[in-house]
Amino acid sequence: MSHPDFSDCRVLIDPAPPRCHASHITDGALVSVEFGIIGQQLVNGLTLGGMYALLALGYTLVYGILLMINFAHAEMFMFGAYVGLFTLQGLAQIEFFTSSGPALLLLYLLTFLIAMVATGILGVIIERFAYRPLRHAPRLAPLISAIGVSLFLQNAALLWISSRSIPFPVLFEVRTFRVAGANISSMQILIIVTTIVLMLILDTFVSRTRLGRAMRATSQDRDAAGLMGVDINRVIALTFFIGPALGGAAGIFSGMYYGNIKYNMGFIPGIKSFTAAVIGGIGNLRGAMLGGFLLGLLESLAAAYISTGYKDVIAFGILIVVLIFKPGGLLGESVTEKV
Amino acid sequence: MGAIRSGLQKVTDFFGTRPGKIGFFFVLALFTLFMPVYFQAVGNAFMVRIFALVGIYVLLALGLNIVVGYAGLLNLGYIAFYAVGAYAGMNLGFLVQELLIGLGFLGEKPENWTYWMLLPFAAVPGALAGIMIGGPVLRLRGDYLAIVTLGFGEIVRIAITNNIAGITNGASGLPAIGQNVPPIAGQEWVRTNLSTADFIFSKDLYWYYVIIALVLFAIFVIQRLDNSRLGRAWVAMREDEVAAASVGVNILTTKLWAFALGAAWGGIAGHTYAYWVGFISPESFNFMESVLVVCMVVLGGMGSIPGAILGAVLITALPEVIRALAASPAFSGILTPEQASLVGDYRFLIFGGLMVIMMALRPQGILPSKRRARELHPIDDHVLMQENQELWEAEHKLDTDSDKF
Amino acid sequence: MSVARSKRFFAIVAVLTMLAMTVTGCGGDNGDTDTGENGATGDMVDIKIGVSSPFTGDVAALGTGIRNGAQLAVEEAAVELAELGINLTMLAVDDAADPRQGVNAANQMVSDPAVVGVVAHLNSGVSIPASEVYNQAGIVQVSPASTNPALTLQGFENVFRVCTIDTVQGSFAAEYAYDVLGLSSVAVIDDSTAYGEGLAAEFAAAFEAKGGDVVSTDKIQLREVDFTALVTNINAASPDFIYFGGMYTEAGLISKQAKEAGFEGPLMGGDGLYTAQYVDIAGAANAEGDFATSIGLPLSEQPKGQEFQAAFEERFPGEAIEAYDTYGYDATMVIVEAIKVVAADLGVDELRTPAGKQAIIEAVAATNFEGVTGLVTFDENGDTLNEAVTPYVVRDGAWVPYTD
Repeated sequence: MSHPDFSDCRVLIDPAPPRCHASHITDGALVSVEFGIIGQQLVNGLTLGGMYALLALGYTLVYGILLMINFAHAEMFMFGAYVGLFTLQGLAQIEFFTSSGPALLLLYLLTFLIAMVATGILGVIIERFAYRPLRHAPRLAPLISAIGVSLFLQNAALLWISSRSIPFPVLFEVRTFRVAGANISSMQILIIVTTIVLMLILDTFVSRTRLGRAMRATSQDRDAAGLMGVDINRVIALTFFIGPALGGAAGIFSGMYYGNIKYNMGFIPGIKSFTAAVIGGIGNLRGAMLGGFLLGLLESLAAAYISTGYKDVIAFGILIVVLIFKPGGLLGESVTEKV
Repeated sequence: MGAIRSGLQKVTDFFGTRPGKIGFFFVLALFTLFMPVYFQAVGNAFMVRIFALVGIYVLLALGLNIVVGYAGLLNLGYIAFYAVGAYAGMNLGFLVQELLIGLGFLGEKPENWTYWMLLPFAAVPGALAGIMIGGPVLRLRGDYLAIVTLGFGEIVRIAITNNIAGITNGASGLPAIGQNVPPIAGQEWVRTNLSTADFIFSKDLYWYYVIIALVLFAIFVIQRLDNSRLGRAWVAMREDEVAAASVGVNILTTKLWAFALGAAWGGIAGHTYAYWVGFISPESFNFMESVLVVCMVVLGGMGSIPGAILGAVLITALPEVIRALAASPAFSGILTPEQASLVGDYRFLIFGGLMVIMMALRPQGILPSKRRARELHPIDDHVLMQENQELWEAEHKLDTDSDKF
Repeated sequence: MSVARSKRFFAIVAVLTMLAMTVTGCGGDNGDTDTGENGATGDMVDIKIGVSSPFTGDVAALGTGIRNGAQLAVEEAAVELAELGINLTMLAVDDAADPRQGVNAANQMVSDPAVVGVVAHLNSGVSIPASEVYNQAGIVQVSPASTNPALTLQGFENVFRVCTIDTVQGSFAAEYAYDVLGLSSVAVIDDSTAYGEGLAAEFAAAFEAKGGDVVSTDKIQLREVDFTALVTNINAASPDFIYFGGMYTEAGLISKQAKEAGFEGPLMGGDGLYTAQYVDIAGAANAEGDFATSIGLPLSEQPKGQEFQAAFEERFPGEAIEAYDTYGYDATMVIVEAIKVVAADLGVDELRTPAGKQAIIEAVAATNFEGVTGLVTFDENGDTLNEAVTPYVVRDGAWVPYTD
């Protein structure tokens, strides 16, 4: 067989398929290529970090109030994604929602709302039946219970929904902008911006509202807060609503961004977000946000400039170094002795 | 219902008596020692293997129990020490093999001695790894330590996957092509001498008894440790670090000992697992394994040797038992083979649910140590009140007594 | 208080032990009751073919495909074997792509005296440790999909495979990419599994030997979903194509993320990509033009291919034929053929004895029949001599044999 020359082959391989995610690359300023890569990696890292941060908030909220590692939180990520998918598929059947831009926006808002509420309710149910009976138990008992819940939910999704990856439809056109040599897609912007907005809402809620004050009081001293008239059970239930709701939102983002969801999708982000929460100082909301974004960036940069195989080693290595020098995490208080 | 309850009460009463206890341990010992022989005899090699696997996890749970149960340090990366033990054992084994062949000791003999020669040192790699990770991070408290150990576990697994220093053969695992693990000394001997016409003393059965011996040894050592000065220091430290330090317990050294000794058992278990199975690859050392070992310790009851053993038995065997039960003839009338296979798929779902229920019923674990049970008894206001009441009454009684005189 | 408590401990332990005894006792009966009367029910002898692959987990699509293929073969053969007085059924056990569960599954299958051969496993990392169990039990193992060369180099006479090894596939892909497609530079990625690592290494070595340029080699971990950092780097190096050693889930995500980041070349991989799931995950537009090499000839070019396809569609309506379905079918048929030979030579009643199982191993070694994947014969290691590898390409959202 003769060797066809390269240009032939290009035509052969790439018959210029019409992409449904058509990329309209808007050229921005012309900057050196090297800078473009760093910029690109920063955007990649921020997007990933946004998802970690949303999930880390759930870990940190629960830890702040109950001093427990909620292992089942990773499954909230998965559950939110599935509810989001089914809601989106269901609502997209109604013609109105796909008819115009604002209607589409409404569709997505509804999807997020329904999925977040559903995941929040699941969180409250789990707290009620798996953790509340253990509130006065040895500290590791709820941890085991949480692992049990996690196994149960993951296998429930595997057996009752599907063992396969399910494509997550994207109903709007994803545009790509070229900014300073980096390609930024509208999806990435959406994720980063929404994440930050959700965080600001949460931060305001916790620091400005009455319920938020009750949450802070409970996390400082549960018994004293109870004596001051705070309904502890309600505050804990609220915490278990907000954390999973944010985790569920992160799950939908993951589905939209990567295009697929799967029953075990929560596992890796779960470990990473927990790490992020600890880097930032577990129990500290702003710390979780900082830790999430930081870990996302670190991972991207490590994969880009050091080694893809060792990127997690680097992330965990930095965690260890941070904790050695700042044992309470970046924004955490220095070691508190809880007696 | 009443009959059942009174029956149960009778059973409970019986086990409370001395002959009851002795009888119970006798039955347990018989079961442990001879059940696998029975399974081997009826040709059910699967169950023999499950028994041996349970033994390995019992070793791991006993080791982790030192760290979590006695010293109160949550370690979520314990499986790393198991991995270090397995890989170190395997690699050193190949070196020793080459040495033996070089010296002309191996060649005509069909078996090798590397497992046994290295066994006395099997604890060393694990313990060293424990000190290495423990040294810098033991100042961290509680859950910070948990996440650091988790990270360490992942670092070890990823390093193994990436064929670090060229000794782990990456994802393909050990032995690599060209290397082999010949039958270990003793394995062939029992096979030829203890087998009869219908009964083969299999490799798995041989390893089962090796593992049981190690478990007994571990129980002995850990029991002694618990009652030693170090054991008491762990308890003191676990309950209140500041108070313990103020009465002269060196916190760092005490923690390091717990870490190193716990890791040492991980190393021994890893070494044994590597030679028993004859093949190790990174998949066997993932995070979920660490979590399961923690579950064993907590489910069984922290700080309690029988608890750790029971936890390991339940968690290792339960999913397999659910599967075997569904496929067994007992259910063949009820479940079609397809349904049985489905129940097999449901084993982890059932298992997860059982974990939640068990914790709700017995948060302190199934068999908590007496000392720990008292310490960790639910901080129940009612109980506290009662205790205060008793105290007050005791004092009051004393007062009235003194009044009388 | 303390006495009552200790009583309760013992009661609980006692109850649990008794429970364990009854439960394990039941497991033990597995071997017991079946052996009675040599497993005969009526005039028929119960014979089972074990099938183990991942029915759950990340590669469940491929694993259940193998089970489907095997089931088809067993149901087909059962009719014929019934005339010989054999009641043939399938024993399917999940290995979850996990070496330890795979070894447990292997033990469970060999503990059933009716099992005379197994079709197992998908992952090389599972097949290798499990093969020792089959070897000890003296039962033939025919792997439908484990392509790591190490499997058959262990010196076990009972281990066979009907699929081509990684060496063949890796070097075929390298030659094809360089010579036929004219691609000269590549970024190689593997998924840190025995299969992916082996395939990617073979490919990279062969591609460099051809004179091609390997611009980067990277490792990813299973279950990861974010490869944006990796593809950004690859994009910057702009090789002609990406070669991925691994399975469809990660491959699909890499293809999707690379194409969305503006990578213009194709992604190429081995048989692990050759499933409709790959296109679903990557998205049809992104997967368009991607390549996969898969072992054997395409169904359309096989004499028995159309037949298989028709039978499959009738038995499993609505399910797609996955990469290894035909191999599951052929591996099962290899054992069925051997059962027929031994039944004729030694008699039906001998099948369940060690001698019968040994005879089956020998009969499998001498296999020579026309399967769906082509002519199945084994070399002295137990590897198939059918070394056909077919390149496939995604066209209009589906894998089709690539022709130039």
